[in-house]
Amino acid sequence: MDTAGKRILMAKTGLDGHWRGPTVVAKALRDAGFEVIMIGMARPEEMVQASVDEDVDLVGLNIGGHIDVAVRAINMVRESRPEVPIFVGGVVPPHAKRKLEALGVEVYPPGSQLPDIVAAARRLTGLA
Amino acid sequence: MNAKNNKDRVWKSASGLPLQKFYSEDDIPQEQRQRLASDPGMAPFHRGAHPGGYRTKPWRIFQLSGFGKPEDENERIRFLLEQGETGFIMEHDRNTGDHCYNVDHPDVVARREDVGLTGAVMQSVRDIDICMKDLPLETSFGHAGGAVVQHAPFALAGYWTVARHRGIDLARLPGTGQSDFFLTYLGCVTKQQIPTAAGLRFNADIMEFCDKHLPRWVPVSIAGYNGADTGLNAYQELGALFANSVEYLDEIKRRKTMPLENAARACSGVNFRASMDLFEEASKMRAARLMWQQLLERRYGITNPKVANLRIHCVTAGSRMTYQQPLNNIVRGTVMALAAALGGVQSMGVSGYDEALSIPSEHAHQMSVRIQQILQEETNIEAVTDPLGGSFYVETLTAELVERAWEFFDEIQEQGGFLATLDSGWLHERAAENQSEDFRQQESGEQVIIGVTDHKDDISPFEVDGFMGVDDAYDVALERLHEVRRTRYEAGASRALKELETVCRDGSNIMPAMMDALEAEVTLGEIGDIYRSVFGDWATPIQT
Repeated sequence: MDTAGKRILMAKTGLDGHWRGPTVVAKALRDAGFEVIMIGMARPEEMVQASVDEDVDLVGLNIGGHIDVAVRAINMVRESRPEVPIFVGGVVPPHAKRKLEALGVEVYPPGSQLPDIVAAARRLTGLA
Repeated sequence: MNAKNNKDRVWKSASGLPLQKFYSEDDIPQEQRQRLASDPGMAPFHRGAHPGGYRTKPWRIFQLSGFGKPEDENERIRFLLEQGETGFIMEHDRNTGDHCYNVDHPDVVARREDVGLTGAVMQSVRDIDICMKDLPLETSFGHAGGAVVQHAPFALAGYWTVARHRGIDLARLPGTGQSDFFLTYLGCVTKQQIPTAAGLRFNADIMEFCDKHLPRWVPVSIAGYNGADTGLNAYQELGALFANSVEYLDEIKRRKTMPLENAARACSGVNFRASMDLFEEASKMRAARLMWQQLLERRYGITNPKVANLRIHCVTAGSRMTYQQPLNNIVRGTVMALAAALGGVQSMGVSGYDEALSIPSEHAHQMSVRIQQILQEETNIEAVTDPLGGSFYVETLTAELVERAWEFFDEIQEQGGFLATLDSGWLHERAAENQSEDFRQQESGEQVIIGVTDHKDDISPFEVDGFMGVDDAYDVALERLHEVRRTRYEAGASRALKELETVCRDGSNIMPAMMDALEAEVTLGEIGDIYRSVFGDWATPIQT
């Protein structure tokens, strides 16, 4: 399916510096034809700004720390771009995963396979 | 589930070395065959750093630990020591520590709930003092924190200052602080960091300072682990680690401020990762000792056996710990620890079984200690040094790893050296290639991870839900920061800070001024502000 023109913003909520996961995911999404805008370690307001400026169709967050930091970021992005879906990955323990899923956010913890993440990106951007 | 088909499989090691069905004497390269005659504790040391092996000295049980407030971290460290840990690691909060920010920095405030999740918040010598309460500083090997390069001078000076307050002669103090380029510039690239050239200067300064004042301290510990867990394979980890050693030694040689042999001694305590390919990882430790001996003799003419016998701390691969079916990780931790022990390492940390979910719970930490105790006490592994020595397979693998690692070392030199490969992102590209290849192999079924790619049913009755530390770390740290600012002798603090800035600018050794700054209760963020104004920011070669 044609992914041309679909844009995904990727950001890290934490300052922990683990770049392995998001980099591998970004590459897989780019290989699948998405345009990926990586802003790295960003504060919620920076994510909001980038999601508006870059006019993205999907936001992917890498979470390396506390769930409350992610929830704050998600709420702020939603406030300004309510139509944009959000999915997250990273070190998300089961209790945090349940909390995020209750907010309607898809969660891809360690061990998730890239084809599943790419499939989710297609679905969330209305391609599948 | 992938159908298991061993018949058509191409067998190779985790780093991609082709493997035969079995090995015979003829497979061992000639050069390696000649080395069979040397015993453990004899050059070229591949068979072991000491002749007595674990009979003389069992490996140190040395677990990464820390979270919350300094008192929470102190409690966890004392728990681990009670459980039988034989050294201790004092992790600082990474949001503040790695970035040299106080908790009121806007980048930290924006993530305040993360504060304390990755280590205790230590912004002044007062916090470090709380974290070190009742710890056996003189009798245990302590890790002061400061794994990240720009943070190391602060963390070390803080630890040493507290030790001095307790009446301990620094000349007798054992320990390390790491100050690792692999972590800082490759594995966990921070949002803000001093450039690599400034980092090299800091590390050389620490080596010089320890040479004068702390002869028992391991001033820097190069951690190949952080390269390997980012994606470098076994021989790349080896080659890159020694390319890093060369940067330090050449810098000291250029400075002519301490005997080169002392500098080599200062660099001879290193860190490797042990991952799941049991024989390759055991062989890697043997290869590392051999390479260090070769490097010192060939490049620097150093043959002193007390310097040429590399000592290794080994950490099991955190990235191999799975989120799915986490109790399986106890088995993985055991296998990786076994690889390290068979390779003859001096010190070990086993990742928690909850590694992929969170920082270790108390129980996961206890299991990491128990795994090592069971290996030490119940398997008789300590009885015989280099138990794999003479194995056709292991000797061949050792030699092949050495050969490929020197090739990778040469490639790094062709790129302009280790620092240049960090600055350009060349090393990051090598790691990223391997990461992508790993995922490809998992998709194709070439690489199986139980519970993740195959056998996904989890019937464990135990829920493992990730340990989230405490929830008051940020608030307490903020209060304490205000308290320090309110109650310290301000004129002394500002004088010390000014002196530190002068030293940063004029290029003299940073450590005496750092000791004075800690003594004067200068805070971490103030020191970071000086770094940022004097050294600027490293131009990160990757998008993080």
